[in-house]
Amino acid sequence: MKLPHCEREQEVVDSLRSGRWASAWGEEIRQHAAACAVCAEVAFVAQEFQVEDELARAELQQPGAGLPSAGLVWWKAQLQARRAAEQRAAAPIVLVERAAYALGVLAVPGLGVWQWPRIAGWLQRVASLAPIPRFAAMPEYSSSGGWLHQLAQAGTGQTPSFLLAASAAAFLTVMVFAAYVVWRED
Amino acid sequence: MSIREITVAELEGSKIGAEAAEQAFHMDEQTFRVFYEDTARPLWSYLCRILGSATLADDLVQESYYRFLRADLKSDDATYQKAYLFRIGTNLARDHWRRLPRREQGEAANPEQVPADDRTAERLQQQSDLGRALERLKPQERQLLWLAYAEGASHKEIAEVVGLRAGSVRLLLFRARQKMLKLLRRPGLALKTQGDTSHRS
Repeated sequence: MKLPHCEREQEVVDSLRSGRWASAWGEEIRQHAAACAVCAEVAFVAQEFQVEDELARAELQQPGAGLPSAGLVWWKAQLQARRAAEQRAAAPIVLVERAAYALGVLAVPGLGVWQWPRIAGWLQRVASLAPIPRFAAMPEYSSSGGWLHQLAQAGTGQTPSFLLAASAAAFLTVMVFAAYVVWRED
Repeated sequence: MSIREITVAELEGSKIGAEAAEQAFHMDEQTFRVFYEDTARPLWSYLCRILGSATLADDLVQESYYRFLRADLKSDDATYQKAYLFRIGTNLARDHWRRLPRREQGEAANPEQVPADDRTAERLQQQSDLGRALERLKPQERQLLWLAYAEGASHKEIAEVVGLRAGSVRLLLFRARQKMLKLLRRPGLALKTQGDTSHRS
């Protein structure tokens, strides 16, 4: 596709921007644009854009508008550069911390798998123990009747393996919560 | 964190050594001040018109200067540095459009449907014919037209800013210009005869 083109398009735009277009020195380029369809279009559009540029300039003069001073931008840039440098310096520490958390989390199941025969044997021994006797049967608890008595009642009659499982569940819950807190902080 | 979120209180409380900060930047403060005075307003106008939001333009202007200061520039030439700054701004604008959900990306191409902040709403009410027509164009068309006719950039300079080849810029700019002319001649948008400035505000 052959585009309609004139070598003087840029000259038309430059003369409009510099103000030469409207002056006596712009007579020749105005005459050219009057005879050249491409330059006439360019002049028309460029004039509109010059007006729009003036409107944009006027917007910055309105109350509440305006650009920050060069000094303020300079100082903000300095502060942001310092922050970026601090973040870069702290990056290896953050990486090591995260690796330590990850290793800690992985170590628990890993240890469990590695030492499973020993843990299983220990659990079997615990399960074979007799249930804990009811506190109510003990003379020192039988007549107290307060909240401690009721709490003790709730926990009685269970095997040690149940208590162990409950403790493990509580521990895991705390670990998950701690992991969540660390994730949120990051 | 965006550079705009840094508060004045933090700045006053900070004890940054000027030497340390300047080591991180490729220009000193005095040179930056001159460069900023020359380029901040054109960059803001460009970003405001291609994004359709004054508040967003405020943010991106500051972020553009921060990235510019940290950039590894190949030349001290003012034209090159300005083109580089506009390229950063253009990329930030593109990042903004990419982050928008697909539905809002479609709306961004037709900002009449985009919820606007107070400053943008006020601007939309006072908009010129070209302002309304501009917002019916695609983001890339707005970029090309603004750089060519408001900034007076050559095809080569535009190509450096928007990341296209100069030949592609020529074609795309021609199409965008034709589209703009059609929009300006639509009913409801005043058509200005050449040299007539009566409808300008």
